[in-house]
Amino acid sequence: MQIEDDEILQGFIEESLEHLADIENDLLAIEEAGANIDEDLVNKVFRAAHSIKGGAGFMGLTTIQELSHAMENILGMIRSKKLVPTPENINVLLLGADQLQRMVEDVQSSNDVDITEHLIPLNAIAAGNPPPAAAAETPAKRSAEPKQKPVPEPEPESEPEPEPEAEEAEFEDDHEPVPAVLKKSSNAESFSPSPPSALADDGVKPQQKVESTIRVHVSLLDQLMNLAGELVLSRNQLLQTIGSEDFRNAEGVGQRIDLITSELQEAIMLTRMQPIGNVFSKFPRVVRDLSSKLKKNIDLTIVGKDVELDRTIIEAINDPLTHLVRNSVDHGIETPAERKRLGKDATGLVILKAYHEAGQVVIEISDDGKGLDGDVLAASAVNKGLLTAEQAQIMSDKEKVNLIFLPGFSTAKEVTDVSGRGVGMDVVKTNLDQLGGNVDIISEVGHGTTISIKLPLTLAIIPCQIIMMGGERYAIPQVNLEELLRIPAGQVKERVERVGNAEVVRLRGNLLPLIRLADVIGVPRTFWDDSERTLKEDRREMISDRRGLTTPSFRTAQQEEKVSETPKGTGGERKNADRRTSPASALNIVVVSTGAMKYGLIVDRLQDSEEIVIKPLGRHLQQCKGYAGATIMGDGRIALILDVANLARMARLTSVTGTDRAHEVAVAQEEARRAQKDKQALLVFRNAEIEQFAVPLNQVERIEKIKRSDIEDLGGKRVMQYRDGSLSLICVDDVASVHPLADNDDLLVIVFKIASRLIGLLAIGPIDAIEIATEIDGVTLRQTGIMGSVIIGKHTTMLVNVFEIVQTLYPEWFEGKDVFEITEGSESPAPTILIAEDSNFFRNQVKGYMTEAGYNVIEGEDGQIAWDLLQQNADLVSMVVTDIEMPNMNGFQLTEIIRKDPRFSQMPIVALTTLAGEEDVAKGKAVGIDEYHIKLDKERLMTCVHDYMKRLH
Amino acid sequence: MTTDKEIVELATFYVGDGLCGMNILKVQEINKLMQMTKVPQAPDYVLGILNLRGQIVTIIDLGKKLGLGETDITSDPRNIIVNSAGGHVGLLVRQISDVVSADMSKLEQAPANMSGIQGEYFTGVYKTKQNLIGILDVDRVLRIDD
Repeated sequence: MQIEDDEILQGFIEESLEHLADIENDLLAIEEAGANIDEDLVNKVFRAAHSIKGGAGFMGLTTIQELSHAMENILGMIRSKKLVPTPENINVLLLGADQLQRMVEDVQSSNDVDITEHLIPLNAIAAGNPPPAAAAETPAKRSAEPKQKPVPEPEPESEPEPEPEAEEAEFEDDHEPVPAVLKKSSNAESFSPSPPSALADDGVKPQQKVESTIRVHVSLLDQLMNLAGELVLSRNQLLQTIGSEDFRNAEGVGQRIDLITSELQEAIMLTRMQPIGNVFSKFPRVVRDLSSKLKKNIDLTIVGKDVELDRTIIEAINDPLTHLVRNSVDHGIETPAERKRLGKDATGLVILKAYHEAGQVVIEISDDGKGLDGDVLAASAVNKGLLTAEQAQIMSDKEKVNLIFLPGFSTAKEVTDVSGRGVGMDVVKTNLDQLGGNVDIISEVGHGTTISIKLPLTLAIIPCQIIMMGGERYAIPQVNLEELLRIPAGQVKERVERVGNAEVVRLRGNLLPLIRLADVIGVPRTFWDDSERTLKEDRREMISDRRGLTTPSFRTAQQEEKVSETPKGTGGERKNADRRTSPASALNIVVVSTGAMKYGLIVDRLQDSEEIVIKPLGRHLQQCKGYAGATIMGDGRIALILDVANLARMARLTSVTGTDRAHEVAVAQEEARRAQKDKQALLVFRNAEIEQFAVPLNQVERIEKIKRSDIEDLGGKRVMQYRDGSLSLICVDDVASVHPLADNDDLLVIVFKIASRLIGLLAIGPIDAIEIATEIDGVTLRQTGIMGSVIIGKHTTMLVNVFEIVQTLYPEWFEGKDVFEITEGSESPAPTILIAEDSNFFRNQVKGYMTEAGYNVIEGEDGQIAWDLLQQNADLVSMVVTDIEMPNMNGFQLTEIIRKDPRFSQMPIVALTTLAGEEDVAKGKAVGIDEYHIKLDKERLMTCVHDYMKRLH
Repeated sequence: MTTDKEIVELATFYVGDGLCGMNILKVQEINKLMQMTKVPQAPDYVLGILNLRGQIVTIIDLGKKLGLGETDITSDPRNIIVNSAGGHVGLLVRQISDVVSADMSKLEQAPANMSGIQGEYFTGVYKTKQNLIGILDVDRVLRIDD
């Protein structure tokens, strides 16, 4: 016999011995209870036998597997009350358990052991024939008997450690003394010649609870030793400092201890954390073996092996995971023939995935099999008497699916030795409950099942954002954190909107649902008054005033609202509008995401980001779903850790409604804007105090604050040190005839990426990011480096063409990157590109790029015109560049109609947007847009156009 | 257990006006840490959570739990930290009294109501010369039944 992995085998042996140690006492208790069956107890023994069977099957220990399977059969009968546990039956089981123990202890030769003498009585009982001798007597009589009548052979009562020499002939091999506990078992000879043995092991092999050990790398141990030494030294220093009453050193010592403590903590944490891959790594084999046994084709995908968990959790999830994976393989995935019939790939897919969420680890086991049919489950549960028909009727689908967690519930029509009799799921649930985790099943009939296990990360340290609400601190795990948003008081009114009863905020073109933390967890709303540095009660009804009736899309909804509003609301509105002028009314929003959903959490104040240790909350607080735990802050006080997923649920913001609402609004807004001009996000800055400039915000990589002295003038070029390199600096006035850069000491560097290099544009404040919708004038102020002008806040603002400036100052950057040459060498005429864009300015800009590069251009002012032009010039046009928001026919519609025409199915379509929202991108991809580019990002657009043209020619 | 007398040391304390006691072996410590963090949405008898040397301890207002109304935080109350099934729990009581040696075999059945406290929370009543001590069934008090 070959056993490949010593560690797995060792694990099996330890685990089985532990199970066996319990089985004995439990069996005796079952015997004592007689017909009065304690279901929990029987379940426990049953599971133990089942686990041994499963493990043995996996290890290829067929004999152990066979014996435990036979025992499990009987226990199953006892559990379903088909069999009354008589002493005879129990004795057979006990003997079986002994035999199992012997075999487990000597695993290597276990397959050679003859177990027929155990199997015969076991199978006889299972078949409904009690052991031969027992048939003559009534169970009642027999169960009374053994009290006076000890096991005849070894006389265990008088001699605690007798050597059962007499039985040598009948007995198999190693004789171990009969433990006193067995004295209750009835006439052994009635059905089996062997005395019970090897149960309590009486000190030869004491009931050694397998010592929990952990493997730690020696280098880590050395590190720990080293740190411990350092700590002692620092303590000595500290004591000396205190003793000498000269506290000048104290600060230094304090720092040292601080440092060592953190390092020590980190190192100790390392010893406990293990990658979940340790558990996952055995599943490829499990799945392979099982699928070949079941004649199924199954691929296993494992994701997130590196997710680290505390080792105690790693160990404890081993069993439940094994059960779940087996269930997926056995019950979930259909046979290849079945799958083909259903039009699925013959090869089933099982995905095992681990990831962090809300400071917890989520493990998902999903399959693309047949899924769980709630109604079938409910019917089956009713049949088994686990549930009444009435109960089943009022259950939700989710509750029905959760029925599989009931003990004694089996989904397989036939019992297989793979995943057994539904024993798996209730074990899984019990085990995970013990770990403080929870299980959730999402199943779709015909499409598969996903079981997700949420486990706490006890002892784990996670980075968190600390926020304040109502005078208390709360922590939000950084994994959930998307960004922090502060809406100045003056903008609250225009950025926060109300849709139905949901409040949303506009964030870069997308709408984000808002939740007030205070409302969800039920504390009075407050706000932090910075000027007075106090918390004040917030009596506003709404975050935002209702907007005026200017937006057509909201008209209906608002009128309805208006009707339902009490007259008092109007008065409050005025007051709110007034309050909004004070800075205290600014909104602090933590944008969090959980899985597919993203929302904004309104809090009082934002504080630092800190690394925190998660501690569980006591059982009296388990009902508070909004918290994932608590943590102790630096000052010794406690902060609660928020579970953002549950908060969303508590606010009834499910992913569906959240995104749906946001989507509705987005659509409405798009419609409302359709007739209007494009919005362009701009970064406004100045060069000289009197002239205002702007650049498209999406071209900006970063903004840095520098001192004038940071600038070095070398070789006729201005540079500064930036991220271990030199950053070339330019000014608008280097190229364009505008006022020179102001003589300020504090300067700003706006960093751009051009020709795949970073370049810094020197500027002065004030800077501001704004969105404008006005038409850009591309003529009046046009000059090298200035692409046009626009009115922003009563100032004529020049739009800087950074690309052009760089091109003028550093022509050499573009050498060898000449993407515009393509048409010159080729014999065919220059390709023609169709541009669909309603804004004159942008159309001219894009047209300029194209013609400069040598392409021919056809322009359409909206989608409809572009489509007509395309049809007229079907043979000529080799590419379409389209805006998204256009009157008459927008970019999506244009793309759709182009794609429908077989002539243009391969036509490259590039969309230009001012704000590439994720939803837009997804929608565009769906209708057939090949790529998205940002307007005015000449470089990327041209590279892309060039790529497509190269492919065509 | 060897003799007829089952002597148990009782830690006694006042909840409202009632004198209650519990086996002192169940008490881990008694402190007057009051720097609690409130837990919104917690059951009303949960006063908050406390940092007990690195452990998060839920503090339960015993008065409120037993239906006697809130314990006055300003009147120098004490937390009795007990070790219960789910970890450490603190019981906030109005005042701590003496340790009493009691013979548990002389325990009498608790009345249905004692100083306004439901009888179900007591395992029994012990009489001393001066007064009556209600022996608190800590596990019953800490059970979560809602």
